[in-house]
Amino acid sequence: MLPATLDDLKVLDLSQGLAGPICAKILADFGADVIKVEPPEGDAARAMAPHHGDEPHPEKSLIYLLANLNKRGVRLNIEDAEGRALLRELARQTDVIVESFKPGYLAALGLDYAALSRENPRLIMISITPFGQTGPYAEYENEEIVTYAMSGIMSISGLAEREPLKHGGMQSQYEGGLSGVVGVLAALTARDMMGEGQYVDVSLQDVVTSTLVIHQPMYGWTGGVQGRRRLTGSNYGHVQPCKDGYFIWQTGGGAEWSDIIEFFGVEALKEERFASVAGRALHGEELDRLVLDATRDRTMQELFRTASEKYHMLFGVVQEPGDLAQCPHLEAREFFQEVDHPVIGRIKVPFRLWSMPDAPAVYRRCAPLLGEHNAEVFGALGIDPGRLAMLAAKGVI
Amino acid sequence: MIRMSKRPLEGIRVIDSSYVFAGPYATGLLGDLGAEVIKVEGPTRPDFTRGGAFSGLLPDNEMGADPWNRMSSYNLVNRGKKSVVLDLTRPEGREVLVDLIKASDVIVENFTPRVMRGWGLDYPNMKKINPGIIMVSNTGYGRGGPYSAYPAQATTQEATHGLAAVTGYADGDPSKAGQSYVDFLAAWTIASAAMLGLRYRRRFGHGLWADIGMYQLGCYNVSEYVLDNIANGTRGERIGNRHRQYAPQGCYRCAGTDAWCVLSVRDDAEWVALCRVIGQDALAADPRFITEESRRNNHDAIDALISRWTCTVSKIEAMERLQAAGVAAGAVLDGRDLNFDPQLRARGLLEMVDFPQDRKMGPRRPLLGRPWKFSASPLAIKGPAPAYGQHNHEVLREILGYDESRCAALASAGIIVDKPVKPREVPVMGMDKRVEIGRLAYWDPDYKQKLGIA
Repeated sequence: MLPATLDDLKVLDLSQGLAGPICAKILADFGADVIKVEPPEGDAARAMAPHHGDEPHPEKSLIYLLANLNKRGVRLNIEDAEGRALLRELARQTDVIVESFKPGYLAALGLDYAALSRENPRLIMISITPFGQTGPYAEYENEEIVTYAMSGIMSISGLAEREPLKHGGMQSQYEGGLSGVVGVLAALTARDMMGEGQYVDVSLQDVVTSTLVIHQPMYGWTGGVQGRRRLTGSNYGHVQPCKDGYFIWQTGGGAEWSDIIEFFGVEALKEERFASVAGRALHGEELDRLVLDATRDRTMQELFRTASEKYHMLFGVVQEPGDLAQCPHLEAREFFQEVDHPVIGRIKVPFRLWSMPDAPAVYRRCAPLLGEHNAEVFGALGIDPGRLAMLAAKGVI
Repeated sequence: MIRMSKRPLEGIRVIDSSYVFAGPYATGLLGDLGAEVIKVEGPTRPDFTRGGAFSGLLPDNEMGADPWNRMSSYNLVNRGKKSVVLDLTRPEGREVLVDLIKASDVIVENFTPRVMRGWGLDYPNMKKINPGIIMVSNTGYGRGGPYSAYPAQATTQEATHGLAAVTGYADGDPSKAGQSYVDFLAAWTIASAAMLGLRYRRRFGHGLWADIGMYQLGCYNVSEYVLDNIANGTRGERIGNRHRQYAPQGCYRCAGTDAWCVLSVRDDAEWVALCRVIGQDALAADPRFITEESRRNNHDAIDALISRWTCTVSKIEAMERLQAAGVAAGAVLDGRDLNFDPQLRARGLLEMVDFPQDRKMGPRRPLLGRPWKFSASPLAIKGPAPAYGQHNHEVLREILGYDESRCAALASAGIIVDKPVKPREVPVMGMDKRVEIGRLAYWDPDYKQKLGIA
């Protein structure tokens, strides 16, 4: 068996939804023993659509399934004193805690980093929350669209003529998860070298704003502020329709401007005014029209293959979720993992984010049912079956 | 708690042999975390952020003598690095890189697989040069699979990795996200892979190779749509700013130029609160809107009522009054607002970076820091991005131990250079013109006073 980079680590995942759970899931993929700790009503993701069969059953949440692969799960009421004692007991043996509660919640229960690290100075804890633990908006109510608005990215997304546009899905949550892994690994590196754990505070607003490396410095360089694209004259800033869908192209890659002209087969593009970056920006509207005329009878697949293979152009086609589910490239990259879920049945799930042949992400277990590993996890703390039964009867576990 | 004096990656040397955003930003962040980062470019192949479409703007939009050193996006992602310019198309140049690989811990690269193999620098050869090296390759599609050799860049990948299909106004075309979206997913992934590799080496004694394909990362971030398709056959429709469940949710015009506030109502209690804030208490009892489902069905009517109120207040006032009533709401911040938002300021996300006078950058400029606050390792951007080839001699002499005559020979043969042989095109265009053609929404001539950097 290949060595796993994190198989010496124990992680408690107290987080809910998508950002924190994805962070903890990636740690599990590389070998960490991750215990998902859910409140009695379960992770909020269990109630989030979509569900398998569109049935709002807590064990059929597709978001929960996706974000909690490779974890064991316990159900624990930390608002109860005995529940808190159990969590403190678990935390003593833990390397990393991932959490996403509202700022102040864990402190009120005596379970914040200051309290838990007193008994375990090597503990690392990461909080991934909408606005972080500090600042005037730390307590603000949040929803995906709010993070999007306040991170700046919405102001440049959509059309100039219309309202700013949120991206589809829950991008800030995935970004928070991916970015959170960097935070954990940096703290872990520091601990490996210097022996001490620490607390890492991640704000989703900071995370999404951090992606604006073109937009953000423009103001500090010139006072310039980008807006949203105009509908016309966008100069390849938008997708454009072709025979059976949409495509998008850019200059650069392995293609010279002359290659691009040949690919589109448009004589007029040879004119001097299109020869430079500035010229193409200035005459963007006409450029769009010429390209549109030249591609209306070509299909997405043909355009994608010819542009990419023959002309080495930067070229994309609008793929839908169903296209991704069937994508031969994703299959070849082992992106999907077939899992057997006790309630949902057999299903393939997006799993592997990147490839690392000597120490790969390995699938070991499906996402846990609510409280599935109570006996196993609390039993390992030395709690006998009689007391476990009593705690269960009292609703602590 | 003992304050750790050292940054986590202190003592780690990283070669950044990558271009544009993903690799350069990842290694810039590793630099913030304490690594020594050496950026390697070619004499005829300066980084794409030194001109052309991805480079951003010049200080005060003034060309100067060396625009390639002063572009905004270049300076953001390459902060704190050393710069070496090396002709890798010639064996003498590759020899220097091989020496550098022997002296380094991590190399991040985004060449096509064919180029690295041709140079004898693919991973099987790389680990012969240095068994401890952690090699992180970031390409559009990763190694293996039918699209592996396809050129790729974030803007075109947004369509291919599925984000554009689920982004867009209802009943409108697919829409592309703001800018280079997938690069940033890759930047964090590269940084994680590098630190996983370093830990693997600490535990098992040798390096490893990470093979990142940006396409795969982009696809992962629409996973719930893909799973919904696999489980339920759904196609994934575009719903603009609305939510598949909560209603109302949207983006509403406020008083002021291009001013907007978003809000989301997640239960009946928040609906009652919203009605009160917009001065329409009676609506809370209106049967058209009483349940979440009925609000979804009558969403257009609700939007009109909300807009009637938001039009009368500023975006900040709308946000503050809605939040005070417990409704999730946020002002749409633009590129100027990011500099003055009290939350981002309190978090210190933007850091002022000082530039030496000879760089002609103005004394200081605000740059994005990092989205992580470490309790025991407070971090800051270490310094400005380097000028092209600025550290050629320093790196060759101090790290590789070359003597002065060898450095001079390499310089006179054009193996190491400090001025691009073929600079990238930098579009010359006045600020007002940029606004006129829609590349900018507006500009503030007095931005330096506003930022306090005059």
